[in-house]
Amino acid sequence: MWHKLCLNKTIIQNKRIKYTTITWKHGGIMNQERKIRVLIAKPGLDGHERGARVVAYGLRDAGFEVIYTGLRQSPGQICSAAIQEDVNVIGLSILSGAHLSLTNKLMDCLKTQEAEDIMVLVGGIIPAVDINKLKEMGVAGVFTSGTSVSEIAQFIKENV
Amino acid sequence: MNDQLEDIKKARNNWQETILNKRVQRFNLKKSPTKFYTPADIESHSFLEKVGFPGEYPFTAGNNPFDFWRAYAEDAAKIGYRPDWGGAGGVGKYGGFGTAEDYRDYLKRMHAMNRKGGPNIAFDLATQCGLDSDSEMAEGEIGRVGVAIDSFQDFQTIYEPYTGELEIDKVPSNFTINAPAAIIIAMYVILAEKRGIPLTSLKGTPQNDILKEFIARGTYIYPPKESLRLFRDTCKFCTQNLPQLNINSIGGYHIREAGATREQDLAFSMSNGIAYLQAGIDAGLSIDEFAPQFSFNAFGGSMQIYHEIAFQRAARRIWAGIVRDRFGAKNKRSMMIRQPITAHIGCISTTKQRTINNLPRAVIGGIAAGMSGGIPGAFPPFDEPLGLGHSLEAVQLQLDATRIMIYEAGVADINDPWAGSYFMENLTDEIESAARSEMDKIEKMGGAIHAIESGYMTRAIAKSAYERQKRIENQEDFVVGVNCFNSENEIDVTINRVVETTYDPELMETAEIRQKEKLARLKRERDNTTVLSLLNTLRNHAADESINLMPDICECVKNDVTLQEICDVFRDVFGEAQPVKL
Repeated sequence: MWHKLCLNKTIIQNKRIKYTTITWKHGGIMNQERKIRVLIAKPGLDGHERGARVVAYGLRDAGFEVIYTGLRQSPGQICSAAIQEDVNVIGLSILSGAHLSLTNKLMDCLKTQEAEDIMVLVGGIIPAVDINKLKEMGVAGVFTSGTSVSEIAQFIKENV
Repeated sequence: MNDQLEDIKKARNNWQETILNKRVQRFNLKKSPTKFYTPADIESHSFLEKVGFPGEYPFTAGNNPFDFWRAYAEDAAKIGYRPDWGGAGGVGKYGGFGTAEDYRDYLKRMHAMNRKGGPNIAFDLATQCGLDSDSEMAEGEIGRVGVAIDSFQDFQTIYEPYTGELEIDKVPSNFTINAPAAIIIAMYVILAEKRGIPLTSLKGTPQNDILKEFIARGTYIYPPKESLRLFRDTCKFCTQNLPQLNINSIGGYHIREAGATREQDLAFSMSNGIAYLQAGIDAGLSIDEFAPQFSFNAFGGSMQIYHEIAFQRAARRIWAGIVRDRFGAKNKRSMMIRQPITAHIGCISTTKQRTINNLPRAVIGGIAAGMSGGIPGAFPPFDEPLGLGHSLEAVQLQLDATRIMIYEAGVADINDPWAGSYFMENLTDEIESAARSEMDKIEKMGGAIHAIESGYMTRAIAKSAYERQKRIENQEDFVVGVNCFNSENEIDVTINRVVETTYDPELMETAEIRQKEKLARLKRERDNTTVLSLLNTLRNHAADESINLMPDICECVKNDVTLQEICDVFRDVFGEAQPVKL
């Protein structure tokens, strides 16, 4: 699995991300170019998709490989999809107020699957008091309404 | 007249060359940043055909010479009437949380404060998606964004305070429910039956607008075609049994909020409307039997004040044309867009940054509303994007801004004040024609159902939303305090965030457990043999497209079959809608 690889990466011009060498755990070396892969996911029952779809389009235009889960995914389904799709980043979009419990479940699931190296971002209507709670769970970044897509793209580039 | 037009055209060209172009050159611009309109811009305009009188076809100038609220506006001022508290036969504030018991107690508290509007129920997401509170998918969502309804028992509990002067034949109800609308209507029917209230006296509005859920709000369950069958069944059932109930509340603003352009918003909601009208006709009803009970939620929503006014005028004209010419209606009420509000800015126009800026934004929406035949409502309260409930201060400012527009500025004293404006008539025509060409495109695809099934509508508005986002990020569109005029040294404007105690957070926290216990008890104690047999009949009837399912759903509801059990039968028979890919 991609996330189980130890990745040495360098960022080169033109906003393209290039993996120069990839070291397998058993020691083999291969060269491969690969875009950062992002899974945009809508956990729970909230059906407001505007943010999710806009961010998906925006990240795609910024040079990322983007997969969108569609509505009503359980944290377990999102976790499996992320592993199957070998993503570097999961972006959760939640506007229903259920962000704490849903994110917590996803983090647990990633832990169980030994996929904690997948970066998790949360976007949506997140009250300020909950931002730290999410970060304590291991969420790398929280992006509330009014955030520009380029800001999110920049964050991913700098932190993956 | 023609000579005069020729003179105007000549004069216009002359003005453009000698005055306008010079100025454009002087400021080193490519084109003029402003526009000026003349009679030549509405050359073939016919007042009677395109505008007409308020309350007359094509209703461009408004549904009525004046509305109910305007007739009694002065009286309302004298008694300090609060529209959001209901009373005078109106619904109360949109709300709902926790279990039915929690929400019932909240309503009782409201009644004690003389806020006696009919129940305007927000359902939690599990209920909206046809899931019971014990469903794994619903974990964490129970009682969050609305009240949890698993069975008729829950529904009945909410109505406990509605007796006597608040009996259900005296106050209307509002149900923001779509995919399971048939089940909620059935619950209302059974409630009336148990109370001995004739169905003919029931008033209210179920949202029952499933098609826009596929495009915008996302609480769909079954595929579009099968969803429309359930709409058809409710449409016929309500027409024949609940003549005072609105059949639906068609939404355009949800579609706009989800990213649609003005033209997409208008075209998609009108195309959905056509599909609903056709469903009624296909059920064997005549247009004037049921179309008068169609209602609308709201259309539009943007900061572009002129365009939003033109949009409302165009929407009324298009709908009236569709219902009269395509469906052959004769009744005026069939042709009207009956909606609680007209123009508005849309919550999407509010910004979290410099939150108080949303107040002037909302006032601009209110002016547009007052100038397009509606209450000049300064909606929403400025703290809307903070997402923690509206503060007392924000609500008061919203109400007062509205009152200032009504009573001090007289914004709503003139019907269609822009009628006859060269500019406004031109813009109304332009929006109408752009919407009509998009409607034609949908028609060629086979109508709304096909345009939804193929994912066309969903993708089209997602792309529009992204285009808008790019324009903001590239500073092609300006949003004050977001992409311009902001600085490192933002001043910290203190906002009063005192929110009226409404929903007890502790109850909210424990709602899921309590609701699950209640549901387990219900499933244990009810007559499960009857439940199974009713579900079996429901399944057989669902498989036969010609059968109206409402009587079966009513029977299920009466015997404590749960919401999800009914929906699961339909899931089996109808299948489930598939999400639209990027």
